[in-house]
Amino acid sequence: MLVTQQVISGLMLGGIYVMVAVAFTLTIGMLNFLNFTIPPIFMIAGMTGWGLTYYGLPFGLSDGGIHWAVALVVGLAAAAAASLLVERFTYRYLKAKYGDATEHAIPLVSSLGFLLIFENTVLILLGSDSQAFPVPFHDANLRFWGLIVSIPQMACLAISLGTVALLSSMLKGTRTGRGLRSIAENPEVSTLLGVNVHRIVPVMFLITGLLCGLAGIIFTLNYHEVSAYMGNEVAAKAIAAMVIGGLGNIWGAVAGGIIVGVVETLSIHYFGADTIKISVWGILLVVLLIKPQGLFGHTRIGKGKF
Amino acid sequence: MAAPTNSIMSFTGVHKSFGGLKVIDEVTFDVVRGSRTALIGPNGAGKTTIFNLISGIYDIDIGKITLDGTDITHTPIQGRIGHGISRSFQNIRLMPHLSTIENVMLGQHTRARGTVDLFKPLGWGPGRRWAEMAEDALKRFGLETYPGQVVGNLPYGIRKRIEVVRAMMADPKILLLDEPAAGLNNQETTELQNLLRQVSDQGVTLLVVEHDMHFVRSLCEQVVVLNFGRKIFEGTPEQVHKDPGVLEAYLGTGNAA
Ligand SMILES: Nc1ncnc2c1ncn2[C@@H]1O[C@H](COP(=O)(O)OP(=O)(O)OP(=O)(O)O)[C@@H](O)[C@H]1O
Ligand SMILES: [Mg+2]
Repeated sequence: MLVTQQVISGLMLGGIYVMVAVAFTLTIGMLNFLNFTIPPIFMIAGMTGWGLTYYGLPFGLSDGGIHWAVALVVGLAAAAAASLLVERFTYRYLKAKYGDATEHAIPLVSSLGFLLIFENTVLILLGSDSQAFPVPFHDANLRFWGLIVSIPQMACLAISLGTVALLSSMLKGTRTGRGLRSIAENPEVSTLLGVNVHRIVPVMFLITGLLCGLAGIIFTLNYHEVSAYMGNEVAAKAIAAMVIGGLGNIWGAVAGGIIVGVVETLSIHYFGADTIKISVWGILLVVLLIKPQGLFGHTRIGKGKF
Repeated sequence: MAAPTNSIMSFTGVHKSFGGLKVIDEVTFDVVRGSRTALIGPNGAGKTTIFNLISGIYDIDIGKITLDGTDITHTPIQGRIGHGISRSFQNIRLMPHLSTIENVMLGQHTRARGTVDLFKPLGWGPGRRWAEMAEDALKRFGLETYPGQVVGNLPYGIRKRIEVVRAMMADPKILLLDEPAAGLNNQETTELQNLLRQVSDQGVTLLVVEHDMHFVRSLCEQVVVLNFGRKIFEGTPEQVHKDPGVLEAYLGTGNAA
């Protein structure tokens, strides 16, 4: 029974990794670079939310802290805006040409720069301490057959999977989605067909910003705690999840996220909290030894297979 | 030189060099509206380069291109597609991991715009007609058995045809085909010719680069010959065989026309 309880908790936790892993995998699959701004964007949603509930709006526009739900919506918008800012100044501004591996180092390094800038800006404005986030539903649990299922956690898993399903159908079924996938496959030919790369790449950053922001909000609601570093642990595990599932594959990232979540809670249960990282990265190595392209990856890394 | 009034596209005094190598040298020609015109010449003559200049992949150094009276010399690629220029490629440029229907629908990309479609799949409501249009085109080209299949695994002849269908989906005024029959067997070539005649009968102007002179003679009524980046002949397929300059160009480079 206890093990079942751990698996249930792992599924919920996996929901958070799923969204972040999908954000990573979209960027890798489409633009072939590991976006280091994903952890701070996740954090910006939570920390902006906390800042607004604690201090209220800047310039004395509000009378003390604002409602937590409104604050988190603003946090989500801030995450999306931050992601678009990253697009403008890493990808679009510094990008020279597609296709050459050395040139992918430029967005990679500049996104690393953005990671530090975002993190330190938040440190200066809101401090480095972990902060308690005030949500009213600490103990909204369902109990059946001796199992405890937290309603917020369950809702969060559903939101996470629903968002990914929506994204997947958008990629398959809409003109923008088709353009996005064709850029993932071949940006040059896409341009020749009239797909506007400069219009569609920001859409992808908007989507990844919203995914990370939403994940940050879900995390905040479930753990009631935020800090300037909250994104780092989650993002590291999401990267593991993405690699387990196969680079550039959305449903692979979903499977990977859930696997990592469950492995994490089971590892705590059987071996204690210190063993989480060994278990997660150990599973990753095992998967890579058996299937180097990941569970659902194709043979060519990072190319057009969302 | 004034373009004839029945010209749909004129290419006037065009020069293009790549790093000091003159690839297109003072080329001028007109494509008659609704015609089926061939652009021929030995390997390396500059035929593909002319297509790249017309479709906007390269900028021209000197000269002018007009389409239907509009100067498109400095129009970017997307704008030229919008003006009615569409093309296929000498080496197939499909998206190998996308399905046939998705590849074909990419040809509609510049046309199929509407309201914000981010979360409105093309299969819903009025958007459905784009998918239907693509399905119809596949049917017309005898490709109806392949819509869901990933293009990368299909045989060469089929992929070659998918490229032509994709180019058609932009609803072009002028369709540029770069060696559409290369690598096709006799039966496939005949089928392709019939389809291109149908396309032409609907009023689309065809400009075709092709090495196969049987193909050119049976499909095209007008021929432009290039050699070393210069236009050396313009006329009918019957005249082209008697032209000493053309014979010289082909014999001189060891190519049999
Ligand atoms: N981007 C480029 N950079 C440098 N040289 C180029 C470029 N594109 C074409 N050329 C050169 O221009 C000349 C004409 O090439 P083009 O591809 O237009 O010939 P073609 O007539 O299409 O030949 P083929 O029948 O072999 O397809 C060739 O000498 C080619 O090497
Ligand atoms: Mg060529």
